[in-house]
Amino acid sequence: MDKENIKKKFAEFHDKNYKLFLLIPLILLIFSCVYLSFFYSQHNDFFYKDISLTGGTIITINDGDLNSLELEGYLSSRLENANIRQISDLMTKKQIAVIVETKNSECNELEIEKTKTILEDFLGYSLIEGENSTIECTGSTFSGNFYKQLLVAILIAFVLMSIVVFIQFKSFIPSLAVIYSAFADILMSLVVINLLKIPLSTAGIVAFLMLIGYSVDTDILLTNKVLKREGKSVNQKIWESFKTGITMTLTSILAVLAALFIVGPFSSTLFQIFFIMLLGLILDILNTWVTNVSIIKWYALNKEKKKNAN
Amino acid sequence: MQIKFTWRIWLWIVFFILALISIFITPTFLQQGVIIKEFSQNSSAFEQGLKVGDVITHVNNNEIKNVEDFLKIVPEQVNTLEKVKTTITTKDAEYTIFSDKPLGISVANLPKTNLKLGLDLAGGSRAFIEAEDHKLTKQEVNDLAQIIENRLNVFGVSDMKIIPVSDLFGNNRLSIEIAGATPSVIKNLISQQGKFEAKIGNETVFIGGEKDITSVARGGQESGIYSCNQISESESVCEFRFVVYLSQAAAEKHADITKNLDVNITSQGNYLSKKLDLYLDDKLVDSLLISEGLKGSVTTQIQISGSGFGATKADAYDSAQEEMKNLQTVLITGSLPFKLKIVKFDTISPTLGDSFVKYLFLAGAIALIFVALVVIFRYRNKSSLAPLIVCTSEIIITLGVASFMKWDLDLMAIAGILAAIGTGVDDQIIVLDEANQKENLLSIKQKIKNAFIIIFGAYFTILASLLPLAWVGGGLLKGFVLTTVTGITLGVLITRPAFADIIKLIEKKI
Repeated sequence: MDKENIKKKFAEFHDKNYKLFLLIPLILLIFSCVYLSFFYSQHNDFFYKDISLTGGTIITINDGDLNSLELEGYLSSRLENANIRQISDLMTKKQIAVIVETKNSECNELEIEKTKTILEDFLGYSLIEGENSTIECTGSTFSGNFYKQLLVAILIAFVLMSIVVFIQFKSFIPSLAVIYSAFADILMSLVVINLLKIPLSTAGIVAFLMLIGYSVDTDILLTNKVLKREGKSVNQKIWESFKTGITMTLTSILAVLAALFIVGPFSSTLFQIFFIMLLGLILDILNTWVTNVSIIKWYALNKEKKKNAN
Repeated sequence: MQIKFTWRIWLWIVFFILALISIFITPTFLQQGVIIKEFSQNSSAFEQGLKVGDVITHVNNNEIKNVEDFLKIVPEQVNTLEKVKTTITTKDAEYTIFSDKPLGISVANLPKTNLKLGLDLAGGSRAFIEAEDHKLTKQEVNDLAQIIENRLNVFGVSDMKIIPVSDLFGNNRLSIEIAGATPSVIKNLISQQGKFEAKIGNETVFIGGEKDITSVARGGQESGIYSCNQISESESVCEFRFVVYLSQAAAEKHADITKNLDVNITSQGNYLSKKLDLYLDDKLVDSLLISEGLKGSVTTQIQISGSGFGATKADAYDSAQEEMKNLQTVLITGSLPFKLKIVKFDTISPTLGDSFVKYLFLAGAIALIFVALVVIFRYRNKSSLAPLIVCTSEIIITLGVASFMKWDLDLMAIAGILAAIGTGVDDQIIVLDEANQKENLLSIKQKIKNAFIIIFGAYFTILASLLPLAWVGGGLLKGFVLTTVTGITLGVLITRPAFADIIKLIEKKI
């Protein structure tokens, strides 16, 4: 009976304070908006972009013995804006490759050759594409264009998603709550990414789109149960959805964590996707089970009251 | 105990089996040997009639099981001084090759599955091409695709994909993907316009392409490298030459121009006063002396020469070989209608790819185990293991579709499969939860129906949010969208209904 007692106490507490709970996401939302506007005024953009979005050249040298610190020292006086990273095997911790990024404005063959020559002078052997090294180059015009298209795609995705949600629930406030929850997941994850100073790649932006999918799952579950099921109290319906939804989110978080730790160190693309999904899933707990719950409870109780008054 | 499967469960089983067939029944299913991937330019094996895709089972009566076996017997592909006899047995025939030229075969292990790994996993090169100072129309891009395909074919690249793509903003470009590790010479082939002109003084005698050139010798006595010399301690040079056959019109033009030239008499021989200058993309490649005998003659046969440099003789040889192939290619295929530029270029070595795939499987397995643990902990009944089976089958069915449709599985496509599996797990939890509501007096059928209202709601919402991505950047993310959409669609239509029916069966039994 102890368990029932706690449940009852919590229900009473929630009934009394659920509107107040909305202050937490509201404060976070205001903070996020202010932070991002500040960020925009500083950087003229909403996030840091990596080479796949700004354009530039990535040269990967598959050399397990290459000392990246020495290389960095060597390049500092010879190559402008060069950025050096290592990739290591997760299990053995052995270095697999060293990555050199430069911000060439366009895919100019001469410039790439020049960079290659500088590297070859340091390495003492020649870089053969596809054998001991790989070269990826993205022109800045192309990537700028690509970036704009991604933003347009996100915008279209949001509009289409909103239409589908409205068709499903046919009531304004609950639909808006679902859409807001997806929006807040993305917005708040973006703030965290910026605070951590992680430059986003194409894959990262796609991950934000994937967040929409994972975010709406739980919100649709909640809204469906609360609005469309007869016979139970609002609290009961919310509690049931919470049990289901939190299991969903928990399995997703565990699966993403496994992927993040195993393949993440290997591929910056997948690392970024999984990291953003992890952030989004954690933030979704707040945005679904605090924000959306409070809104839908408010809405459903109001409706019940009106019904009873009639 | 008698279990009656519903049609949904049967449909699921059929799809599962079809997927396994689509993935694992390869054209070389249950065979042993190595498959021919490519021939080098003067391959003796090619001349004997071996083809790309042939499966070699024996070399000199030694059994070949894999690439290592093959390389042990055919170690170095070099010119030998004497003629060597090699017998190659394929699945259908036996070839006896008696030659001093290298076999010139590159082979690969037989594929175990029909799955095609994308560029970032298998290795290879990809380029996005636009025209310089010109916005390409759809028609122009299509024409360009044909010319470039022809050019790469002539050069000897066979494993490639050339796709005209357009993006959200209506930009048209060409995407070129070449499997395997590809040397930078391919980059030149794509980006050079390849405008070839042979001039005497200011007058053009002939240009590249089939109008002026009827054929180009590419083997035998009429084409090859004829001398290599060391010029200094750190530089060597190799000279190549090959014969070009001109059309009648071009030959008459040659006669017309040369007939008015003077003859210079030198100690090395008598030549005409002007040389035949060869230009490639307006750069002078070579100047050839014209011997006295050709003055005013209608000659359809012209010998073209050039050279390649390198630090060692071997390097110079390779470079000359490349130069020659390049020149032959543009002479045959003619110039491109536009000056092109590469706006994105990637080469990825397959070394990282191998370990990727290994770790991806590990990550997938561990993720599934975590999911299973949570589900078992939460529901503690026998239906809790079902999600594990359903998820695995969802992965296999999605991969089955991918291999049937010949999609390339790149990193983003794999992320897409993971995304689809994620929604699959979520959906199954919804079904389990609805089914397990004990205080609910509804029939199991009604409970499952309730679950599917939520599942379809979420499905259409995700679909709406993903589709716009398919057109971004001319299909760079198409792999992701295709696999995700396929995964979730098959999920809500086939595997998840089957899962619901299984749960119904189990619940009824209790």
